[in-house]
Amino acid sequence: MNKITRPNLIVLIFSILIGIFMAGQFKLSIPNLAPVTLKSIEVTKNELNALYKEIEDLKLMIADKNEQIKMLESIADGDEDIRDILQAELIKNKAIAGFQKVKGSGIIIKMQDNMMEGAFGEEYDLDLIHDVDVLMIINDLRAAGAEAISINNQRVLSTSEIKCGGPIIRINGRSVGSPFYIKAIGDPKLLSAAINAPNTYGYALKTIDQIVIETTVEDNIVIPAYNGDFDFKYAKPVKEGD
Amino acid sequence: MIFAVLGILIGIAFGLLLPYTYNVAYSLYISVAILACLDSVFGGIRANLEDKFDINIFMSGFFGNAILAAILAYIGDRLGVPLYYAAIFTFGGRIFENFAYIRRILLKRRIKK
Repeated sequence: MNKITRPNLIVLIFSILIGIFMAGQFKLSIPNLAPVTLKSIEVTKNELNALYKEIEDLKLMIADKNEQIKMLESIADGDEDIRDILQAELIKNKAIAGFQKVKGSGIIIKMQDNMMEGAFGEEYDLDLIHDVDVLMIINDLRAAGAEAISINNQRVLSTSEIKCGGPIIRINGRSVGSPFYIKAIGDPKLLSAAINAPNTYGYALKTIDQIVIETTVEDNIVIPAYNGDFDFKYAKPVKEGD
Repeated sequence: MIFAVLGILIGIAFGLLLPYTYNVAYSLYISVAILACLDSVFGGIRANLEDKFDINIFMSGFFGNAILAAILAYIGDRLGVPLYYAAIFTFGGRIFENFAYIRRILLKRRIKK
């Protein structure tokens, strides 16, 4: 039986053929595909978008650095005075930090408590404007690209607190009361959409809680500078190379 | 039986050494075709043990089954119905059937000896 006969030889040859094909199948090393869910698509999409944004930012940074190199070269050549450049930079940084009075197009939002007489015993808590409401509105404005914000002429900084203080709200350590005038400089269309579009927080306040919210678009809004003192006690800048 | 296993092992070794691959898109068709070929080989071994081996039947079965299985898988893909299940069930079932026959024949021979 162990003698190699013709059928056995044929079976051997064709088995080798199968083996070759199987090896081809092994070599493909088909990746273990997990089922693609809508959520995973969304997550991947978000990751992609974040990466694209990062690339954009890096490109901007390259352009910025090139500009700086050019500037430094022109200083080295003696074309420009370093004092002018530092002065311009100071103004720019002040504007970013909020120590500079700025003006531009934007919107003014007037927020006032609901003054309508409710039925006796009605919950009046919802008729009032709370610190959270103002915070949410400010956050919406920032999301819509607001560049400078003030509440009743108190500049809102990166460190500004908005705290409930009973009938008033404390901002930058100062008390402000209703009605609140929130000024924001930015794209007026985007800003007013962030407050008035359906399903925004401002829309809910207006339609559900009946709080008075009026937005007016203006071309020339002046937002005052932060007029307090600013001294970091704990945060120390990290120098590059540390 | 030994020849088939030996052949497949040699083929795998040979195939891994060869630098050739094919498109991932055909992987399903090829795997179904491999199943059909395996069935033919088992059928051939069984026929050989029963002394009924016919090279023409074996070769036509080997290639015919493989091509039919691949075409079935392809049509199934086009129609959106997994028709290759038909090939998997048929050939898979027959492989076990043939193996059962082979086992019986070999065991009987051992007892006779």
